Amino acid sequence: MRLRFSGFGFARARVEEILGADSSDARLGALMKAAQTGDRAAYAELLRLATPLIARIVGPKCNRGLEVDDVVQDVLMALHSVRHTYDCNRPFTPWLASIARHRLVDAYRKRSRVSQNEAAVPELPETFSAAETNWEMSVQGDPELLRRAIADLPAGQRQAVELLKLRELSLKEASKASGMSVAALKVAVHRGLKALRQRLVRKEHKATGRENE
Amino acid sequence: MSKMRTEDLIERLAADARPVHCLKSPFRRTAVWLAWSLPWVAAIVFTMGLRPDLAARLSDARWMIEEIAALATGLMAAMAAFCAGVPGRPRWEHFVPLVPLAIWLGALGQGCIQDWMHLGRAGLVLYADWQCLPGIVMIGFGPAVAMAVMILRGSPITPMTTTALGALAAGGLATAALRLFHQEDGSLMVLVWQSGTVFGLTLIAGLLGKTILRWRLPSMP
Repeated sequence: MRLRFSGFGFARARVEEILGADSSDARLGALMKAAQTGDRAAYAELLRLATPLIARIVGPKCNRGLEVDDVVQDVLMALHSVRHTYDCNRPFTPWLASIARHRLVDAYRKRSRVSQNEAAVPELPETFSAAETNWEMSVQGDPELLRRAIADLPAGQRQAVELLKLRELSLKEASKASGMSVAALKVAVHRGLKALRQRLVRKEHKATGRENE
Repeated sequence: MSKMRTEDLIERLAADARPVHCLKSPFRRTAVWLAWSLPWVAAIVFTMGLRPDLAARLSDARWMIEEIAALATGLMAAMAAFCAGVPGRPRWEHFVPLVPLAIWLGALGQGCIQDWMHLGRAGLVLYADWQCLPGIVMIGFGPAVAMAVMILRGSPITPMTTTALGALAAGGLATAALRLFHQEDGSLMVLVWQSGTVFGLTLIAGLLGKTILRWRLPSMP
């Protein structure tokens, strides 16, 4: 990608148009010269005057996910880091425009590197697309199917699932109610849920197959 | 980037506005670079010993053109590297070293044709010369370090061009110095081994440009 700015043309024709007649390129240069000696007030004024200029330079080129404010702030920081490279015998605006142009290109490169690892989707998916990650959502909607699957479980597993998952008792309470040990309840509920999952997924696959036919 | 108001950023940057040492003009920086580099180059040349036929070589117009062109390539490349580190300077300055480089390569090319016309195929013999590469690397080390220190002070707006020009500067100076003690004047040999080494190092330095020269932005919490 190549971005073109006519540095000198921009400086001569537009600085006064953007900043007003009292803010010429020479004034910006003088402020920068003062800033190089450590004059903070001059530097702050220069940065304030430079901000709309930078926005004017980078604004028309900012698209594809680039925020003008972000690029402007990045250019201000770049300007700060290389302010010793400004030669007060040369015009200020081409110096500024050159920094702005290169930082904009860098921002585009960075943005395109990031966007290579992103996929634009109209709506964020709530679950993953794989079937096994969606079985609860798709099958839980049918309580009759779930009731029949629980009824088909062996007695111990059915009781464990009913007490711990449907009635939501604690392990101690379920142990007291069923007379089973806590360890046995844990094993039973684990096996029961695994069996339920397998049966429901199998049934759903059958239903999907019929729909496709 | 964190979402900070531009006005807040300006205040923070202004608060950090310490006095800075401005870069000198590229011409003066080239003079400083040469002043740093010459003692190193001279030390190696005198350690290796001047070639015994140097007086005769100095009266050979083609040899002198090649030497001056190599030296001019180095100096012009140094100046161009320093220009490339200053934002807003015209782009044509990057290409100025191509003029002495073309004269250098042209002189070597013309030498190849002359050798071929006078000696036939025997004038274009190419054999391994393992003194050129280490010689240029050894002589160019000092100027390259000085150049690296100096271009790191510039801005990394064209990092690959800047480092490539910096390497060309060190290589051009090193090649000119090498021929003061290394008795290898076959045009094809010089073209392949000496110029080839310089171009190889220039290419490597150019490819490393973005690694060597990076923006060092102030950290803003």
